[in-house]
Amino acid sequence: MELKGIESEAMDDFERELRAAMHRQPAPPSLKRSLMERRRQTRAEQRGRMLWFERLAASLVLAGVASGALVWRSAQEHRRGEEAKRQVFAALRITHRALEEMRVQLQERESR
Amino acid sequence: MASRWQPDFEQLVNEHQSMVFSLAYRMTGDRGLAEEIAQDTFLALDKNLSKVESPLHACHWLRKVAMSRTADALRRRRVRHMDLWVEIEEQHSAILLEERGSPLGSRLEGLLATLPEAQRAALVLRYQEDLTPEEIAATLDAPLATVKSHLQRGLKLLRAKAATHLKEYVRGA
Repeated sequence: MELKGIESEAMDDFERELRAAMHRQPAPPSLKRSLMERRRQTRAEQRGRMLWFERLAASLVLAGVASGALVWRSAQEHRRGEEAKRQVFAALRITHRALEEMRVQLQERESR
Repeated sequence: MASRWQPDFEQLVNEHQSMVFSLAYRMTGDRGLAEEIAQDTFLALDKNLSKVESPLHACHWLRKVAMSRTADALRRRRVRHMDLWVEIEEQHSAILLEERGSPLGSRLEGLLATLPEAQRAALVLRYQEDLTPEEIAATLDAPLATVKSHLQRGLKLLRAKAATHLKEYVRGA
């Protein structure tokens, strides 16, 4: 009898009474009001979190750009330093060659 | 091509708040807790609104989440107070007796509140929500055979309790 009621629509008086007793109860009016308020708060918190993440992302991008600029500048200075060093060595080589030529000429003059 | 259904949160709340609240209230016997569970359920819906495909899907989703949240709340309360069942039963019966219009209805609800949680869940979904055992199994994520067993045992126990406490109402129990 119980299984019959459970499996099919055929119900006895007891089950019918049970069904009648268990109709949905109206929700308290405060439910929707509190729910909508909590929803507003949750959304505001989410917006706040999003704003915080956006700021963090912007800060990270700025820090990246600044670090990149510093690295680039340092590389440029290093490159300029290497160029200056190369020019100094070239000048020293030329001077050395000139002095060597002068020394040879002086030796030749003395030997004469 | 049919246009996709656009869920309106407030409308869903209006339509289903009574169902969600009643499920939570019948399971917990505590209006405050039931209201809290209902709010949590709807907030979870709000988070997953983009995944809801139709009004029917929203209804199934709410029913399932409400039952799951209710089970969680009852588990938390059981952990807090090991002897809570007695409290719930007494509190539940008292509240329901106060509020219901029909004396038999209120007394049946009071007796329902004394059933074990799994049986009560199955009976609430069966008689409040008018679900089939298959739908109840899907809602509770339980095997069909288990649900049928809970329904049968719950109903049998309720009949037995009614036969003892409500002799004047139950004929042939």
